[in-house]
Formats: sequence, C-alpha cells, structure tokens
Amino acid sequence: MDHFPTNWGRPRNDAFDAYATYPIHQRPYNGPKDTFADGVQRTQQPIVTGTSVLAIKYKDGVMMAADNLASYGSLARFKDVQRLHQVGNYTVIGAGGDMSDFQYIQYILEELSIDEISAQDGHELGPIEIHEYMSQLMYARRSKMNPLWNSLLIGGFKDGKRFLSYVDLLGTTYSASTLATGYGAFIAQPLLRKAVEGREDVITEEEARKILEDSMRVLFYRDARSMNKFQIATISSAGVSISDSMQLETAWSFAENIRGYGAQTQ
Amino acid sequence: MFRNTYDSDNTVFSPQGRLHQVEYALEAVKQGSAAVGLRSKTHAILLALKRSTGELASYQQKMFRIDDHVGIAIAGLTSDARVLSNFMRQQAMGERMIFNRPMPVNRLVSSIADKAQVNTQEYGRRPYGVGFLVIGQDQTGPHLFEFSPSGNSYEYYAMSIGARSQSAKTYLEKHYESFADCNLEDLIRHGLHALRETLQQDKELNVNNTSVGIIGPMGQHEKPISPPGSFRILEGDKVEVYLQSMEKKEEAPAPVPAPASVPDAAPAPGSDEDVQMSG
Amino acid sequence: MISHGLTRLSLRVRGKLTCILTTMTSIGTGYDLSASTYSPDGRIFQVEYANKAVENSGTAIGLRVKDGVVLAVEKLIHSKLLVPGANRRIQTVDRHIGMASAGLLADSRKISQLARDSGAQTRKQWKEPLTVKALSDTVSWNAQTYTLYSSVRPFGVSTIFGGVDKSGPSLYIVEPSGVCLGYHGAAVGKGRQLAKTELEKLKLSELSMREAVMEAARIIYLVHDDNKEKEFELEMTWVGVESNDLHLPVPADLLEEAKKKAKDALETFE
Repeated sequence: MDHFPTNWGRPRNDAFDAYATYPIHQRPYNGPKDTFADGVQRTQQPIVTGTSVLAIKYKDGVMMAADNLASYGSLARFKDVQRLHQVGNYTVIGAGGDMSDFQYIQYILEELSIDEISAQDGHELGPIEIHEYMSQLMYARRSKMNPLWNSLLIGGFKDGKRFLSYVDLLGTTYSASTLATGYGAFIAQPLLRKAVEGREDVITEEEARKILEDSMRVLFYRDARSMNKFQIATISSAGVSISDSMQLETAWSFAENIRGYGAQTQ
Repeated sequence: MFRNTYDSDNTVFSPQGRLHQVEYALEAVKQGSAAVGLRSKTHAILLALKRSTGELASYQQKMFRIDDHVGIAIAGLTSDARVLSNFMRQQAMGERMIFNRPMPVNRLVSSIADKAQVNTQEYGRRPYGVGFLVIGQDQTGPHLFEFSPSGNSYEYYAMSIGARSQSAKTYLEKHYESFADCNLEDLIRHGLHALRETLQQDKELNVNNTSVGIIGPMGQHEKPISPPGSFRILEGDKVEVYLQSMEKKEEAPAPVPAPASVPDAAPAPGSDEDVQMSG
Repeated sequence: MISHGLTRLSLRVRGKLTCILTTMTSIGTGYDLSASTYSPDGRIFQVEYANKAVENSGTAIGLRVKDGVVLAVEKLIHSKLLVPGANRRIQTVDRHIGMASAGLLADSRKISQLARDSGAQTRKQWKEPLTVKALSDTVSWNAQTYTLYSSVRPFGVSTIFGGVDKSGPSLYIVEPSGVCLGYHGAAVGKGRQLAKTELEKLKLSELSMREAVMEAARIIYLVHDDNKEKEFELEMTWVGVESNDLHLPVPADLLEEAKKKAKDALETFE
C-alpha cells in the first residue's frame, strides 16, 4: 500500500519513468519476460506429507501398514488419508512423502491398469512389473531434477511368489524381507528385522499383524508426524485386501513423569 | 488379376469395398521365398527357405532375432522387414526396461500391425511389402503369429507364408492336430516336410538354403542355450541332423512329374526365380 | 437415395447381384475415386464403398437390456489353423465399455486406439470414467473427418460401442460416414438385416443379461449362412450387473450353454 496520496492514480516510478529520469538503457522494462530469465526452481520440499510405511514378508505373502495422517508441516492437517493403494490384482503400493505426488502416482498407475485390462490377452501386471515401472519413473524424474517426493514400498504376491521392494524419490531401489520408510526406517526397521529375519516362512498372518501393530505403536509414541489410526494391507494367494482404519491401543500414564508434559507439580 | 481404376492409390475403396493396393502388397509377400511356422505345447519353431541371387552371392537372411523370447521369419521385401523388425526390437527392449518383463508376443505383433494399418489409410505411403511369421514365448506359453501388410495379425497353430506357401499350408492342415504333443525333433521334421512342399521340382532342402528358428527347451541335438529356451537360429551344418531325419515324400512322384500333387501351387513355375530384391 | 433403398429391399432376394445394381451409377464416372468428391446427385461414393467393406464382414450385434449390455460377433474362421479363442474381434475400450465391429479388422484396432485415448483424456481432465455416448461422439467425429479429404480413406468399419455408465446401459453404432446413433438392439455386418428383424421381436428393455446372452447367441447362429460361409466362432462379451459393471468375456460355461441352445433353436427354426 502506497501511503502517499500524491502518488495515487499515477504509475509507479519503477514501472514507468515519466520524467525520463533514467538513461534509455536503464528505463524500466515492462514487456514480456523470458521464462527462464531468473532460472527455474523445482520442488524443494514436500508440502502435505505422509510419514512411515512398514512392510514385512510372512508365511503367506506380504503385509503392509501405514497410518491415515497427512501432515502440513507439523500440523495434523488431514486425518483420513489412505496411503496404501491397490494396483491390479496382485500389488499394493504404500507411500510416504508428498501426498499430492502420491495422488499423481495413483493416477498414472490407474491409466496403466486400464491399458493392461484393455489388451485382454491374459497378461497382467504383477508387483515385479509395477516396481520396475515405478523405479524407472522415479529415476527419470530425479534425473530431470524434478522428483516425485515419495518413498514407496511395493508389495505383492503373484504366481506363488511374494515380492517386497522399495523405491524413493532418487530412484534408489532396495529389497528385503522387512522394509520401512521415513521415520520408521530408524525406529521400526530394527524391530521388524529382529522379529522377521530368518522367520519369513514361519510367521503366520496373526503374528505378522501383531508385529506390524507393535511397530506402529512404537512409531506413534516416537514420531510426532504419526497418528494412532492406521490400515493394514495383506497380499497373499487370496489376493489383496486393505483393512478398514484401526485404532492403536496406547497408554500414556508413563508420560506423567516426563518433564514438560502435562501439569507440572515440581 | 488385372489393372483397374481403383488400384492406383491406397486411399481408395473399390466399389466392392476392397483395397487393391493392400491386396497387391499381399502379392509382394508371395514373391518372397517360403517360411513355415508351427508350435507344440513346449516349442514354437520357424523354418525358412533361403535364396541366393547367384553363385557369387550368399544366401539372403530370412530370420531375425527380436529378443530372447521372440524371433521372426520374413517373406517379401527384406528392406521393409528390417524397418519393422528394428521397431519390434525397440518395443521389446522398452518393455524389458520399463516393466522388467518379456513383452507379450501378441502385443508385439499388434504394435507392427497397427503401424502397418496407417500405411493402408493415408495418402503418399505404400503398405509394407513384407509378411512375418513371429514365434515367441511369454507368460502364456509358446505362440505363433502371422503379420501381414494389411495390418492384420492372427495367431495360428501352424502357418506358412511366401512363394507356394499354399502347398505347405495343405501339409500343415493335414497334420496340425498332432503338433501339440510333438517333441522338438518331430516338430522340426514336420516343419521341414511342410517347407519341402514349397520347393520347385528340381530343388531340395540342404544345409545352405534352410534356416530353422527355435524357441523352447533345448533339443537332443542341441548344446545348452543361454538364457535357457531363448530364440536361436540353426543354419549350415547344424541343420544337417534334422535334414537327415526327413522321410521320403509320401506320394513318391513317379516318372510323371506331377504338379497336380501340389494342389494350389503358385501361378507359373519358376516365376519367383527372377525376383531378386525379395528375400 | 431411391436406388439405395431399392438395393436394400432386393438384398435378401438376390444377394450378390445387388452389388452391381448400386454401383452401376458410380463406376467409371470418376466421381467415386475420392472421399472429397460428390457425385452429381450428391452422394459420396467412397463412403458407400467403405460400407461395402463392412457388409462383407461377419455380423456383429449388441443388445442393450434391463441391467447391462451384451455384445456378440460371428467371427468367420478363414483357416482351421487359427487358434480358437485368440484373435478377438470384440475389444475393450475401458473398464466399463466394450466394442464390437464389422469390417476391416485393422481399421477397428485404430478405432479402439482412438476410443481408449478418449477414455484416458476424460479421466485425466475430469477424474471420471467417460460415458458411452461421449465416447461414440468423439469416435464418430474422428471418423467423419476421414470422409472429408482425398488424402485419406474412410474407416472400413462399423463399430458397436456398448457399456454401462452413470446413465445406465448404453449402446451406440458409429458408421464409416461418421453417423452415430443410439440403439436398443444393434446389428452391423453381413447378416444385419436378418439380425435386426430378430432383434425387433425381442422386448429388449425387459430382458436380463443372461437372457440376452441366449438371444444373442441364437441370432448369431441364425444369421450365419452355412452354405456360403466358412466356419465361424461365436465371440461374446458383456457389461452390467452380472459382470460387476466390467466389460468381460461371457463366462465359458454360460457361452457353451448359449451355443447349445442356439443350435437347438436353429433346428426347430428350419
């Protein structure tokens, strides 16, 4: 706001040099500007984010968990976001990171699925194909310096084989029998490894569910961008099922002893 | 066939709803030497008759590898075949890169069929002058397809294209029901018998003019292939053992040379000899 | 137009002879060599010739019934070496839309590409599956442009689009001319006249999908001319409540049942 009434209704000096104060080459230019004159800036950070995704292999297939929160910075902005997405009949993709980028990925994969269905020739995309596709997509985007800001877990079960793999915004891929993205990679991954590694063919569905639930609970205690509402996806020979949202049972009585939490008595 | 008003351009329908330029392109396929394809439950194979332009020239290549899991045999204009096979290779490589899987064979064939269709509908082009037999193996097993310049592609149990291919077709139609359970050696023998039907009177199959393409597990006369079961072309001495396995022609053409034993032989005997640019 | 009507009438009686009748006015006049040329009486012969390509092809029909759509095709088998069940003539456009066509198969594949692109476009812009009506409109618009220029030829296919969308079951035909009309019962290709007559006898809007499958099979078997034609294969798909609104092949057991009933009906018919 210009607070000098004498200036009101006149062109600004920086837009129009009415009195030819400046030599020609220094006069303000108001024509169209080259798009790249100032350079371009690509995504520097995710905006609305999802936190960890956890996944493990178990006896019958693969199980994956993610909570329902999409944060806007430290604000718990959206509390009913599904971060596990089914692709085709054999695959689930779970996403941490930028949720709008994830929605874009879901759109891309939907198009892909329809192309595959329309061929109607008995070929279907399984987790291996979808993981390869996603890793090529993520790597291509980071190579254009314009990444999709996500870390993704891709789990599936096809032709009697379970599959679990990771790909992130850099196009890095990694496979293991337990995987976790985001904060979960620090907090939950050690727990998952301890519970699962070497026992992939032994763990039952109930046990797998418990391992994931326990890990989600630990994450909820420790991760300030997490929420106690989450979903579990199971992928086995029976196909894909993504559960309704579940509530984590937590106990906070210990917190009374933490300085800075609750009413201070001392 | 004779010239008429509706055949000079591929953007013109004849009053009968036919596309003469496309039909002429199909004739170009018949100028090429024959190729035969057949498949069993485990294997898909191709056999082709190579031509040489003369004593000093080598034999024209009739088979091309597209990918580990796909190979083709051609009949017609070799130069067109090279363009299309190159395209197929790109498609197959793309599929491996993007999805980490061998490209479904039917989609590979459809991709060139769709390419060929455009050349039948737009001005200033000509339809491709080459036909393919495509064999391949994917998640749904071994396959045999025919691609033709009309932009159509079909899946067959067995098929032949090229000069005098009708004779081979007659053989295949007689025996195709037994192919499914054949082992590789029997399948190749059937293929050679069919290919033999396309020969002119005085010619016979030998190690120089016969190519065999195979997809499927290693046969008893073969050395291990890497990766196992991938497309390979047998030529020269490697074909000998299969040529040896052939049986004498069933109806021994006694003193009287009987072109009648070959029902729908090509128009005039020897008419394909002078076509030099085709494979 | 009068001569055209005459031809239609005489079609059943004289079969092939009628070809000569229609074309007598066109051949040799020079007005029939390009889609961009009218004849003196205002016809575009290249479009009519494209229709001939359609008429030479096996029949395709579509039934729009109470809770879905059934598509069926008389797929003529030009060689016994063909693998049965492969080489489909009914294609899938989108999850909920299928298309059956009569005419040049290669052209119909191009139509299906156009159709799928249109589906993808709609999804991208509106995040919504496209309607059969919108799809047929887009395709017919495209087909029409191929009737305007000498540098291209019209499509040699008539296509039946069938599907279930937010407005319920719909069925449309797009012709080589670019004409696009909605139908309760649709038939294109060689046997369309007889098929239409049969379709008209049905109370289509009261049929269930299963009943429609039976009727569709019966009609295809009926229109197939055993004497003149090669072998054929019945190909059938459906979209609607029975298939969870997905365009899918009719289940094998139901197809077999329909074939059997069709054959029985054929014997009593004759």
